[in-house]
Amino acid sequence: MTASQSPLQVQDATIGYGRVAISEGLNVDVPEGEFTVILGPNACGKSTLLKALARMLKPTAGHVLLDGKDIHSQPTRAVARRLGLLPQSPVAPDGITVADLVARGRYPHQGILRQWSHRDEEVVAEAMAATDITELAGRGVDELSGGQRQRVWIAMVLAQQTPLLLLDEPTTFLDITHQIEVLDLCAKLHREGRTLVAVLHDLNQAARYATHLIAMRDGAVVAEGAPAEIVTAETVHRVFDLPCRIIDDPETGTPLVIPKALAPVAAVA
Amino acid sequence: MTTVSTPLRPGGRATVVRAGGYSIRLRHRTLAAILGSLAALVAIAMWSAATGSTALGLERVWAALIGEGTKGDEFILWTLRLPRLATGLAVGACMGLAGALFQNLTRNALGSPDILGLTQGATSGALIAIVLTDAGLQVTAAFAAIGALATGMLIWSLTRGGDPSGYRLVLVGIGVAAILAGINGYLLTRTTIVDAFRAVYWLTGDLSGRDWEQARTVAFVLAAGVLAIVLLSRGLDALRLGEATATGLGVGVTGTRVVALVVASVLTAGAVAVSGPLAFVALAAPHIAARLTGSTRSFTVAAIIGALIVTAADAVAVAGIGDRQLPTGVVTGVVGGAYLIWLLIAHRKKGVMS
Repeated sequence: MTASQSPLQVQDATIGYGRVAISEGLNVDVPEGEFTVILGPNACGKSTLLKALARMLKPTAGHVLLDGKDIHSQPTRAVARRLGLLPQSPVAPDGITVADLVARGRYPHQGILRQWSHRDEEVVAEAMAATDITELAGRGVDELSGGQRQRVWIAMVLAQQTPLLLLDEPTTFLDITHQIEVLDLCAKLHREGRTLVAVLHDLNQAARYATHLIAMRDGAVVAEGAPAEIVTAETVHRVFDLPCRIIDDPETGTPLVIPKALAPVAAVA
Repeated sequence: MTTVSTPLRPGGRATVVRAGGYSIRLRHRTLAAILGSLAALVAIAMWSAATGSTALGLERVWAALIGEGTKGDEFILWTLRLPRLATGLAVGACMGLAGALFQNLTRNALGSPDILGLTQGATSGALIAIVLTDAGLQVTAAFAAIGALATGMLIWSLTRGGDPSGYRLVLVGIGVAAILAGINGYLLTRTTIVDAFRAVYWLTGDLSGRDWEQARTVAFVLAAGVLAIVLLSRGLDALRLGEATATGLGVGVTGTRVVALVVASVLTAGAVAVSGPLAFVALAAPHIAARLTGSTRSFTVAAIIGALIVTAADAVAVAGIGDRQLPTGVVTGVVGGAYLIWLLIAHRKKGVMS
């Protein structure tokens, strides 16, 4: 894959917190126009990788490149017009309304003398329509359900109008219905032409929704590719230490991971 | 130029003023709060100018103001009352802005220079000046400013690279405040009774006898602070969504935080140096502003309310009890303390405080 096809790349990067390196010599290319999901066991470095991609962590060695240039050498507001980020469990200020929060996504397009243009208004309305929250516009964010709230945050990131979206565990703390709702929304955003990178916990959801998977373990990329190619019993065992069988998802035909029963299951009378 | 009322954001109905490619958004409720508090401020300032040991009345104040009053009236107004009034206004505005900045930075309702140790740092500076040198008001003020600034820098260096929530800033600040309070107590015990009296008087905070020179100094600090806050306010607002979201939106998080802390320290230093530590103004002003506007974003209202509290407290202090005037800081302390208790009770009822 050439640089022109990957808008976001990690090159020979050492990433970590303080002196503790989580990943060393890491190389990742985020393919353009794909819905990439990073997965792996707890503490494998997947959220750390996402933070490095989002320029929240600066590699102590190597580079993160956005459009071929070091992301830390570019003005952060310019980066924010290319790259949107939904952090893990974001916090809304008390009492803020849905429309107000979504409008905050316009920050990188605004200035002291350009506080609220017609374009801002249109884009915020579009972002709320796309996430199906237009009816909630006047409600307080703290009154909403977890699934609605996550859609509001996604709308805020959409209002940023970036071709690239990074999502750090967007489904954590949601019940299954809302998880699917958020993932369906992500799939729709991908179909509309955006490049998505998400960290997910659920292997089967990753296999169903992703078009490109990055499997990590101990800070290194273990396998990478289309779900149909890399979700195999052997890879799953290598990444998660989980003995399993793979069957076709009866709904979508994507791989479905069935963990092996370790002990014989007692027969139900 | 066009103005549009936008119903899109019902949480904050606003008018957008547009001219060419420029647009400014004015929330109706914030606008009402600004106008209302300004009106109250003007009324109190006029009352303050008209009353005192010699009651002038509004007509004589006006005559003296436009240069048609008697020599005596003009002296009372231009030399005694207006400098004190102007100093109080600027000091209050500085404290209101400093408090709003600290609450924004710490994302904590108790974030204020009193809690974070800046006031104690200013006191240490002033005490060193009083105890070690035979300093007058000017030197004491300079030492107080240095003390506040040094404390601000100390807190920043101790919190660098720490918890981004601002919680750490509050805890470190409380620790620094406790240490400085100990040092201040020690300094007081090392002094003569005459110096100790001067020190305690300074510690109470007072505006009596302030002249134009001091008013100008605080006004200059205030102007610089306002300019910096105008440039910072959007970034600070985005930071309220958390460090990660703010980074994603393109805010230079560390830079915004450092500059905000420096600006808040300078505002505190300027105000405390001239008036002494007027208790609770910086804590209460942003809370009252938040209640009036329904948003913690309004620095303008926090500044006006700060000025309002100090001016009103000073007017009460001048009126005094019986025929004795009170130090201004006594009044702000009593009023501010009562307000804080009320705030905590209201907080428990509503369960919301931001």
